[in-house]
Amino acid sequence: MKIDLYKYAVAAGLTRRGLLKGAASVGALAALGGLAPAGRALAGGHGNVRAEILKVPGVGMGSPTDADWQKVGEMCLGPTMERVAQGEFAGVELTFMGLNNQNLHNFLFRGFLKPWEAYTGAKINWIDLAQADYNARLQQSIATGTVDFDILEMGAPFEGDTAGRGLLDEMPGWVSEQIDEGDLVGYLQPPVGTWDGKKYRVTIDGDCHTFAYRKDYFGAGAIGGETVPSTWQQVNALSKALAGQTDPLTGLPAHGYLDPLKGWGGFGFYFIANRATAYVKHPDDPAWLFDADTMKPRVNNPGWVQAIQDVMDLIATPGAYPADQINADPGTTAFQQFLAGTGSMLMWWGDVGSSARTSDTSVVGDVVGFGINPGSDRRYNAAAGAWEDVANEAPQMAYIGWGIYVTARVSGDEKKRKAAWSAAAHLGGKDLSLWMSAYPSGFQPYRNSHFNYEEWEAAGYDRAFVEDYLGSNADSYNHPNAAVEPRIPGIFQYYSVAEDELAKGFAGQYASAQETADAIAAAWERITDQIGRDSQIALYKASLGM
Amino acid sequence: MASTEADYLHIVTADNISAARIRFGKTIIWASAALLCVVGLVQYLDTQGVVSLGFETWRPTLYAFLIWASCLCWGQVLLYGERGKRSLFVLPAALFVVAMVVFPLIFALGIAFSNWNLSSPTGRQFNGLDNVRQMWADPFYWNALKNMVWYTLAIVVEYAIAFGLALALNAQIRARKFFRVAFLLPLMLSPVAVSWMIGKSMLEIRFGPVAHLVRELGFDQISFFGSPEMARFMIMAMDAWTFIPFMMIMILAGLQAIPKELHEAAEVDGASGWRRFWEITFPLMLPVSITAILIRIIFKLKLADIIINITAGGPGGATDSVTSFIFREYRDRSNVGYGTLLAIVYLVLIVIAMTILMKLADRWMRPRY
Repeated sequence: MKIDLYKYAVAAGLTRRGLLKGAASVGALAALGGLAPAGRALAGGHGNVRAEILKVPGVGMGSPTDADWQKVGEMCLGPTMERVAQGEFAGVELTFMGLNNQNLHNFLFRGFLKPWEAYTGAKINWIDLAQADYNARLQQSIATGTVDFDILEMGAPFEGDTAGRGLLDEMPGWVSEQIDEGDLVGYLQPPVGTWDGKKYRVTIDGDCHTFAYRKDYFGAGAIGGETVPSTWQQVNALSKALAGQTDPLTGLPAHGYLDPLKGWGGFGFYFIANRATAYVKHPDDPAWLFDADTMKPRVNNPGWVQAIQDVMDLIATPGAYPADQINADPGTTAFQQFLAGTGSMLMWWGDVGSSARTSDTSVVGDVVGFGINPGSDRRYNAAAGAWEDVANEAPQMAYIGWGIYVTARVSGDEKKRKAAWSAAAHLGGKDLSLWMSAYPSGFQPYRNSHFNYEEWEAAGYDRAFVEDYLGSNADSYNHPNAAVEPRIPGIFQYYSVAEDELAKGFAGQYASAQETADAIAAAWERITDQIGRDSQIALYKASLGM
Repeated sequence: MASTEADYLHIVTADNISAARIRFGKTIIWASAALLCVVGLVQYLDTQGVVSLGFETWRPTLYAFLIWASCLCWGQVLLYGERGKRSLFVLPAALFVVAMVVFPLIFALGIAFSNWNLSSPTGRQFNGLDNVRQMWADPFYWNALKNMVWYTLAIVVEYAIAFGLALALNAQIRARKFFRVAFLLPLMLSPVAVSWMIGKSMLEIRFGPVAHLVRELGFDQISFFGSPEMARFMIMAMDAWTFIPFMMIMILAGLQAIPKELHEAAEVDGASGWRRFWEITFPLMLPVSITAILIRIIFKLKLADIIINITAGGPGGATDSVTSFIFREYRDRSNVGYGTLLAIVYLVLIVIAMTILMKLADRWMRPRY
């Protein structure tokens, strides 16, 4: 769970009954002589591990510490013990490269893996990286052939750069079984995590964009109308209609949907894609950014052009956007505009919802609602080259989420290989993942079992809050037409150059949306040619499971 | 027997260098050079897959270079005695510069003429002048260069303001020392801090105090970075705010070095304040001014952090600098070959421009008597 969300849950959503229950359980366990022996017993497969780990440290008992991570790691050792004998990996040394964002990620992994190290006898060395350094470090390691890590925390978009080049080790069958892969939400099932039919990824996170809106704009007599827009056509019509009206909460000018018009190191492209997926992600075709057979960009097809045109229409409507929108990146639209009471509709990752209630600068905490990515009245069929008058919905799984991978460095040494995969499987374990979803970890829920609201309620969470927050995520994850981005090498290069061209288009330097889209397509063709068209086609198809 | 005696003046000791010593000196230099060549060659062949010796890093070549450099220095003393010792004052520094500047520059030239995208499975490939052609047709690069001309021209205004402030601080005003320190404060701030404190906070359109003030003054729908001209001006203003103190402090130092007698003599002759400035202060300040402007231009040409943080080059490339464009090309797009070529071309442009400027400055600064 993201930190802000946890704070909110503790501050506002926690039931008194649940808190007392959690505290009583912890007290009782402590009276029995500490949690560790109990954990051992549970790890052996006796008792309800899931309920017990959720009591460490107890919802509302302060932020978990390293001792708690170790405790949870030990309590979840059961599946490892079933497959690995004590001391089996004695003498094995592994290097783990991951992030240190917000003192989470690797910090948690260290704690979780300490009891694993004690049990198996393996030793793990750590490479901690800041988010900003991660991409460069990974790319340079790959390009210069200096991969110096055995286990890697990595986002799925980089699978093309690593798995696509044979740098990863194939996941053994027992790992899939240990982590209960069938429990993963729909979009994280293969082909995500696989290349050429081989599995490489232990998923530890989920990611998608969801729709956040201001409830006070909608309803009887509200300025936004009776109902919340459910299509991009409605979103645009409303955004135009709201120009010149007054915000019911702040008394300042009212605005509709907040498009970020400035680049954000490539991440800004996800936001134009939110609009476009509704138009171009056809249920019969997993591809939506390129033609899989030729890598010809689809970004200048009529569906994408419509998405760009929608934004240009709002730019051309005085008052539809806040005054400085041309200089607003996604961080601005979410945290400086939406949360501060400017604008009524937004697409973002899950944490904007939690920040709405926990951030000191947020004024919209009581009036924020969630939904999935708006759809469209019609969709563009790239195969047929024509619009179809059929309603379409396609939530975008922006960035897909983090996973644990094992590099090919261990492939030649069976003992080391088993150790690396055992460590990865421990971190991606079903029970441990529940704890990571429920406590601050930096990771989002990503298994169907995470949406079992009774478990959350029993742990002391407020059910209404959990359902509200998790519901929109669950609906997006399991959507049959979810738009999953291509996991091909250099995908962020495509996004980055598209941002530059979009910025020119939005600033009026191109004559039309079509011309802007054509410029993006031309730039994408150059990148494809530079990276290698044939290899990109092969990798794109592999990533789509074709 | 060789001797350095009587060859040069100022020789403290007469070195009587034996033939054996000379032989030894030459031997260690050539042997270490041969070692360097062999190790480098072997490592190269290893990377090319011709031989397989399992080198993991280039450290053996580095160590061979260090041995060669040490032997070369030692060899100078062995071969030339005291003259050799004198060369030790410069030789290590020269070798260091070669290792840290010249070698990387040559390496960079190799990359600049390559097609090297870090995501490409084929790695680096020599592509001749393709990158130059791409640059020639790249509207983003030319736009950034055009912006740099605007940014550089703004230095004229910055110089005028810096001169005015320096004159004020040089005058007998109250709390002079306090103002000197206060005016220097912006220079002590990191440009990244300036971007966030001013660009992203004070100029924030809804809550920023500057935006509040402007609204209070009766302006509606203000946008500091909305239009190309305004955005460019704001970037110039923030950069100027940071670096005017630098020019000011240099000019102030120059002003304080002007002998008071000159002004007094002019005053006795009845020259007005304006005349004294144009006829005495300004001409005498020319050398300092030119130096300050040249250094400022060099700083300005590296302008990137404020732009990356505040506008990301927008709106529509209006504020893009060459450095911020190269940053995107290199970091966001891993386009190492093309990014390096852009940087090298920019370096060449800067060297040419600075050489011309320095020649012109040299001409301007010559006394006009």
